Amino acid sequence: MASFPRRALAAVAGTVAAAATLVACSSTGASTASDSDTPYSAPDTNVSANLTYAVWDQTQVKAINANLAEFNKKYPNIKVNVDVTPYADYFTKLQTEASSDSLPDLFWMNGPNFQLYASNGKIEPITGEVKAGAIDPKNYPQSLDQLYTLDGVQYGVPKDFDTIGVWVNKALFAEAGVPIPSKDWTWADLQSTAAQISQKLASKGVYGISAGMDGQTTYYNTIFQSGGSVISPDGKTSTYDSPATQKGIQFWTDLVKSKAMPTIKQLTDTTGDQWFVSGKSAMYQGGSWARSEVAAAPIAKDVMVLPVPKGDQQATVIHGLSNVVAANSQNKQAAQALQVFLASKEAQQQQGDLGAVIPAYNGTQDAFAKSMPGVDLQLFLDEVSYAKPLPVSKNTAAWNTLETNLLPDAFDGTKPVDAVLKDLTSQMNADLAKE
Amino acid sequence: MPRARRRQSHALIHLVLGVGGLIMAFPFLWQIVMSLSTNAEVQSVTPTFWPAHLQWQNYAAVFQRLPFLSQLWTSVLITVIRTLAQIVLCTLAGYAFARMRFRGRAVLLGLVLSILLVPSQAYLISQYQIVQGLGWLNTLAGIVAPGLFSAYGTFLMRTAFLNLPAELEEAARIDGSGPLRTFWSVLLPVVRPSISVLAISAVLWSWNELLWPLVVSTRATQMPLSAALATLAGDVTVNYPVLMAASLLAMAPILILFILLQRRVIDGLASSGLK
Amino acid sequence: MSAVSADVSESAPAPAAPATRRKRRGVRRGDGLWPWAFVLPLLAGVLVFYIWPILQTAFYSFTTWGVFGGFKWSGLDNYSRLFTDPQLYRSLLNTVIYTAVVLLGVPIAAWLASLLNTPGLRFAQFYRVLFFLPYVAMPAAVALVWRMIFNGDYGILNWALSLFGIPGPSWVNTPGFALAAVSVVGLWSSLGFSMIVLGAGLKNIPPELYEAAELDGASRFRQFRSITLPLLAPSVFFVVVVTTIASFQLFDLLYALLGNHNAVLPKTMSLVYYFYNAGFVENDKGFAAAIAMVIFVLIGLVTLLQFRLQRRWAGNA
Repeated sequence: MASFPRRALAAVAGTVAAAATLVACSSTGASTASDSDTPYSAPDTNVSANLTYAVWDQTQVKAINANLAEFNKKYPNIKVNVDVTPYADYFTKLQTEASSDSLPDLFWMNGPNFQLYASNGKIEPITGEVKAGAIDPKNYPQSLDQLYTLDGVQYGVPKDFDTIGVWVNKALFAEAGVPIPSKDWTWADLQSTAAQISQKLASKGVYGISAGMDGQTTYYNTIFQSGGSVISPDGKTSTYDSPATQKGIQFWTDLVKSKAMPTIKQLTDTTGDQWFVSGKSAMYQGGSWARSEVAAAPIAKDVMVLPVPKGDQQATVIHGLSNVVAANSQNKQAAQALQVFLASKEAQQQQGDLGAVIPAYNGTQDAFAKSMPGVDLQLFLDEVSYAKPLPVSKNTAAWNTLETNLLPDAFDGTKPVDAVLKDLTSQMNADLAKE
Repeated sequence: MPRARRRQSHALIHLVLGVGGLIMAFPFLWQIVMSLSTNAEVQSVTPTFWPAHLQWQNYAAVFQRLPFLSQLWTSVLITVIRTLAQIVLCTLAGYAFARMRFRGRAVLLGLVLSILLVPSQAYLISQYQIVQGLGWLNTLAGIVAPGLFSAYGTFLMRTAFLNLPAELEEAARIDGSGPLRTFWSVLLPVVRPSISVLAISAVLWSWNELLWPLVVSTRATQMPLSAALATLAGDVTVNYPVLMAASLLAMAPILILFILLQRRVIDGLASSGLK
Repeated sequence: MSAVSADVSESAPAPAAPATRRKRRGVRRGDGLWPWAFVLPLLAGVLVFYIWPILQTAFYSFTTWGVFGGFKWSGLDNYSRLFTDPQLYRSLLNTVIYTAVVLLGVPIAAWLASLLNTPGLRFAQFYRVLFFLPYVAMPAAVALVWRMIFNGDYGILNWALSLFGIPGPSWVNTPGFALAAVSVVGLWSSLGFSMIVLGAGLKNIPPELYEAAELDGASRFRQFRSITLPLLAPSVFFVVVVTTIASFQLFDLLYALLGNHNAVLPKTMSLVYYFYNAGFVENDKGFAAAIAMVIFVLIGLVTLLQFRLQRRWAGNA
């Protein structure tokens, strides 16, 4: 008995050591900086490979499968496994995989996370594909090409995009006896219209306008419209303390104060889109992606849409996802072939026709524009000409959290707007300095 | 005790348990009501206690949007494997920690229990790399592996064995049974209630776990139902009634199983009372 | 009554007796290799899948860890940053408050379990099912329902309050109320578990003891104090330890109930949420590892304290 425990422990220690070796092995191969000049040539059509393609939106899987069926006509021996992970866990999973060098061959990337993966050499530039003429960035909205470019190197082209507009419930306007604003409306028009409706329909608990109160659908738009910005062009400092930016924030504070929109607490409890689709707000500033939700709601027949109003200038936020290839994919050539295919006009046209998203390839968006009869969805496409990309940096999530935590105090008037923005600027700068 | 008094005291007990039970069950009842309502009814300021028209299509919508059956099967598979493993491993170890003497017992128990002290997310990357090193990514083995070993279950079974009178074992030993036989035929039957508790915990925990299966597997068919629910909840278009229907469906198998198991637990409890 | 207590210690001695007694009674020498055969299967898995990651985390807490691996030794930097971060103390306070509320459920559960145990009670089985329902429910699913109940505008809770003329708040996004809401749901969902374990403990108490006590004319409360409580001690101890540990790990419920875009989070977040936010949202993994180690030590200390207290308590019983 005396010797057994020791031997057992030795065995256990051996196991642990083995595990340690495994871990050590798996993490040493990390920083293989990818050469951005690797030329690309389309693989042989009978090349065989097993690819994993990671996405987060179950509702798009149908269109993706249609794309893959087309892709397999050309490359019958490339098998693609579509991996759907709910958005809430998608980036946690991706981080774990990236830390272990087992990223999916091809995966969805968004603006806020892009620079993190690009700057750490985890994703493959598309330089080779562009040089070979397989992908031409000119075919996509320029602001989105920009979004997926870091230090002059582009890592992906957009697969889709979305812009922001104001959804309108005509029936509630009629009920309140307020005329519907025209397409070239301004901040003042929005403020007075919303306040009037809130006032006239107060007894029914209906508000003039609701919004998501996040950056992309809400305050980034007004910040850009007043000529402000969120982050300096080099991505190193916060610009939240600039007067123009403050004006863009103040816009929402004023709306809440005038009771033209529900309070921030109400909008956290019940999201802006829910206020709108349940007929409790006459307008909703939201993304083009709200279309499917609005179309399915009982109010659908009364709906129209307006562009976001003009401030000092006309502006909106554009964002789109991109398909990127893992830098250390075992099947890089096959993964790139799929990346090229998904960026093609043919594939994006199919995406648009199946109504999943607004495809990014110029000239493939017709299906979306016509997808809601009687509603002028074309304006979401027209907005692209003055749209600005979603502001991002290497570690966007860190300061996005700050925005979520600090700005509500400014919106609901608990603290003066300038004080909140000063605080936000200094905390955001501290986070940016860490990048 | 006079019958009347007994009945009176029971009335009070019924009142307490009835009101308490209603509070406990209310969210479920409310969930059922909401799952059969329209979105507008769910969001009306004066609650809609019963929908004007029962919206059964909310349930149909769930099946349209999810590969429900294959994910149900995955959930069942993960749950069964983990639960069996936990029962075997934790019962053995719990017995040793409670009733046997060996060098380093306290230290090893402390070591096992210490894994409860760390947030489970802190294990994520390390465990992933270990599973990767073992070549178990995208396999059932990888999905179930860390969950086969439960510190909590060991603690539970240790407590159960500690509770037993020593006479039980001594009698068996005097009869000449070896440790394995004593364990198997004398002690194990007595701790059945605790094994039931362990089984329930293991089942629930496996059934509800979401992050780990999502991370180690990239195959949709290898996703459990909990992951499916998260996929729905993460949709941009929120339809509360459909979400309620989906969450009821995700819970239903386990609720049914529980009600069946419940009988067994009670039987187990009763049999232990007869010892 | 003394007759009863004497009877108690004879027929069913307190299982968590002082160490010396336990050694004499429960464990014999000559177990040889058997203990290892029993323990090793579990231990091997625990070492590989849990202890090793803990050691890794401990190591990384002294480094600046790159987002995707790669690290730089940074000594106590993470810890000095952590201990000067007011968010640590706020999260700790929130976690302690939550734990305290959930622990309130243990005496309630003991009481309810004893009521359920009343001989000849009708519908006992039905009540059991009702009380256990929350425990078997999927937390993510249940949080969705509670979110609706707590909604400030159309939640049924505020509607009920309005019947009494009380204007209810927006529960999940008003500081203070948010933590209260999370705690209440925590209590609600853990009560069934405590009842199941305490109920099993109660069933093990020989009914003869109560019969004897009743003959002695002991009141119900007296019976509870002198028979139920001491004999239930190991189960109570188990429930308290497990509930405390689980409560200190509060994350899923908070995340599901409040969402991750809620301004109330800094004032409401738990220690584990703080850890998750640092590690997986802000990508500051070394700092997150330091938080994990603080959580480890804190729960470790609390659990150790509970073990100590239990030993003393059991020793005096």
